[in-house]
Amino acid sequence: MGSTEHPAQMKRGYHVLTWKWMRYSAFLLIPLVWIHAIIQALITGGHNLSLEYVNMRWLITGWRIYDIFLLAFAFSHGTLGLRQVLVDFIRDEKWYRVLNWGLFFLWLIISTIGAVAIIGGVKFPE
Amino acid sequence: MADRIKSTLSGYAKYRGRGHVTFLTHRISGLGTFVYLTLHILTTSTVFFAPQWYEALVIFFRNPFVMFAEIIISFFVVYHGVNGLRLAYIDLFRPDLLEKQSNRKFMAAVFLITLLLWSPAVAIMGYDFLKYGLGFFGGG
Repeated sequence: MGSTEHPAQMKRGYHVLTWKWMRYSAFLLIPLVWIHAIIQALITGGHNLSLEYVNMRWLITGWRIYDIFLLAFAFSHGTLGLRQVLVDFIRDEKWYRVLNWGLFFLWLIISTIGAVAIIGGVKFPE
Repeated sequence: MADRIKSTLSGYAKYRGRGHVTFLTHRISGLGTFVYLTLHILTTSTVFFAPQWYEALVIFFRNPFVMFAEIIISFFVVYHGVNGLRLAYIDLFRPDLLEKQSNRKFMAAVFLITLLLWSPAVAIMGYDFLKYGLGFFGGG
């Protein structure tokens, strides 16, 4: 091991935790994403999207909760997956840290934007 | 850094172990879905942050290139899910399959199941693409 040890292997506990998160979120995402895609893309259809439609959908609190779960699980799964791919390209500790913090802020910012929109709801233009 | 990128990419190209193809397709479909997901969250969030932008985006979503890309993304989403289930199944119940040639049949089955589950999406989104994207059947 020594100097050739991969940075990812230095943080075992963290590694196991993210692996488990990937696996469990994956199982949840199968029904969450597929139901979402069937309703939005196949039953509603992208051409029927409008502010009125989104507003009508979010009048039902259950759908907002559904969308929060979808956002939380899908985007964290995606960010960790991207991290797994990019980690293969990195050897030294410095870039590993840059990558981890970069992806952490990407995850935080996009998730926050999405969550604020879901909770805030549709604002109709004046 | 640069040599690491080079060795990883050449590793992607040269590695020919079992599951080579599905390793790559799982990553490609995952990355494609991630790019779509990020844009999807940002564009949908405009309903709160900038609703007039959302109205402009809805028109943009009817661009035939966007509609076509969505059909491809729907394949990625179905494939990534079905193949992910295969990975979890092998991992949890049949680790012996990793060493066996029969895993190849399993991968082919994943591909067929994906095509089967994807076909309604092709039919419906394909129809919408022809109608609203290209203006057939009196759409436009």
